[in-house]
Amino acid sequence: MMGSGSKKLLLQYITAILLIFLLTWHLVIRVPALRGVSTFAETLASDKVYHEITAYGALLLLFAYTVLLHAFNGLRNILLEWTDGKYNALITGTIIVLFFIFAGLATYTVVGITPPPASG
Amino acid sequence: MAEKLKEKENRPGWIASINPWVLKIKNNPERVAFVLHRITGLLMALIIMAHIYVTGTPARVGWDAWAEEIAKAHGITAVTLYFFFFAGIAWYHGLNGIRLLLVEFFGVCIGKPEKPKPPYLAPSLKACQRKLLYLVFILWAILWAATGYILFAS
Amino acid sequence: MMSFDPKAATRTPPKVVTFRIKRYDPTTGKEWWQDYKVETYRGMTVLDALLKIKEEIDHTIVLRYSCRMGVCGSCGMIINGMPRLACQTQIAEVATEANPIVTVEPLKNHPVIRDLLTDFTTFFEKHKKVKPYTIRKDIEEREKGDFEYEMTPEEHYNIYEYTLCISCGLCYSACPVVASTDRFLGPQALAYMWRYVADPRDEAWKERLELIDTDEGPFSCHYAASCSAVCPKMVDPAAAIQRLRSALLKYRLGMYKKERIAQKKVVEVKPNPKPLPPEAQPVPGADPWKKNEEPVNIPVDELIA
Repeated sequence: MMGSGSKKLLLQYITAILLIFLLTWHLVIRVPALRGVSTFAETLASDKVYHEITAYGALLLLFAYTVLLHAFNGLRNILLEWTDGKYNALITGTIIVLFFIFAGLATYTVVGITPPPASG
Repeated sequence: MAEKLKEKENRPGWIASINPWVLKIKNNPERVAFVLHRITGLLMALIIMAHIYVTGTPARVGWDAWAEEIAKAHGITAVTLYFFFFAGIAWYHGLNGIRLLLVEFFGVCIGKPEKPKPPYLAPSLKACQRKLLYLVFILWAILWAATGYILFAS
Repeated sequence: MMSFDPKAATRTPPKVVTFRIKRYDPTTGKEWWQDYKVETYRGMTVLDALLKIKEEIDHTIVLRYSCRMGVCGSCGMIINGMPRLACQTQIAEVATEANPIVTVEPLKNHPVIRDLLTDFTTFFEKHKKVKPYTIRKDIEEREKGDFEYEMTPEEHYNIYEYTLCISCGLCYSACPVVASTDRFLGPQALAYMWRYVADPRDEAWKERLELIDTDEGPFSCHYAASCSAVCPKMVDPAAAIQRLRSALLKYRLGMYKKERIAQKKVVEVKPNPKPLPPEAQPVPGADPWKKNEEPVNIPVDELIA
């Protein structure tokens, strides 16, 4: 049986290792020179973003879930430490609700996407 | 009759993990790194929620709203400044995170136990994690500046 | 840096130094800063100055000290914002001609009883929690004591550093995690835990790792390394906690096993090759090598006469 201590930190470390690669990818695709455009804003153009979301949807979702797990688990650890065990249930509950709200939002961003209107 | 004596609780509380100068400990940049890691972590958690909300615009609202938002990402605007600070926070948290993974998860870069000799400096404070820490600060500055160049140059 | 600085130690401190001491009165709960001017001399430590204040200026100051030479670990206090041993801190190290003021506060994270005196009850309870003693499965074997557990010099140096801990509580006082949560065992207890997990003579490494796999254990540490930076004995608790954490994670992933458990080695007690000189013989006719078998009969009456 794994203790509570190792669980919360193992989750943090494993997501951290994944995030090194996922975040690097996420940032690299925003570098204009690597996308063959001249400005940062152009890498965010509708057709490019639509292509990313449809072609790499699963990867984007993995990134979103990993980052949310890492962020909310970290936030929970910090809050548990700061409140010295006084509001454990409240903090954990709020964090789980927040996780599902934002994970749902991220999923909808990928699943509910429609093609952009053809622009000239 | 003995007087009632009360002990004073003397723990500084959560402020100690936000302010590295609650104690003025010498030769301890790791504490500054820890505080920065925590502050950037907290900020990241908040910004990620906003980021996921905003990047959901095409699906939630539509591509017109997205295009309107992107139009603001030229030059020095609120949008590019937001990206600039977001990137700065992410760079630090990520770079220092790699160092922490090595130290905490893999247990390396903390030196070897040794026989105490003058000047009695703990091995972990002179091990390669210290060099990595300085490297983190240098890379942070370089990468943040590069991000600024990409964001504001256009 | 708690490191030894011979230059600072031999410097002459400013002639008159102001000691700004944080006072606390437990009857009223009032706390205040009080200034005392002390004439110094070369080589004077902060503890010397505090005792001079207590003897000559204000008898009501309360502090704890014992050995005056950095061995007992009683006189830990926060001097100029950094936890230090008062007896090991030269005034010349902390006061300069430009700023001849030394602030002295009680250790943080320990409850204050009065003035500079802090309560170490919680600290020692946490120390006890980690079972700071070697555990062998065969208790009878251990109690006999006619042998020793073999250990290589390398194995000895792996743990030697941690055995130097004097439980002065400076690391506990510097820890930013203990500052916010009282449940964290703290650097001292966890360094002790690692000392026994790494000790080849200890057999209970699994039990120990299971014991600390909680929120109180090494996972609450965030490597601020302040503990190692303030340690007066170069114990390096920060590194010990990282080793403990790494070992625990590996253990949970099924990848950690203690390298070696020391086996017993019977020691032959060799008889003394040279007889003791006549003046070293305590009692005529008594053989010190047989004292266990034949209790020595000391002729007290004869000796007095």
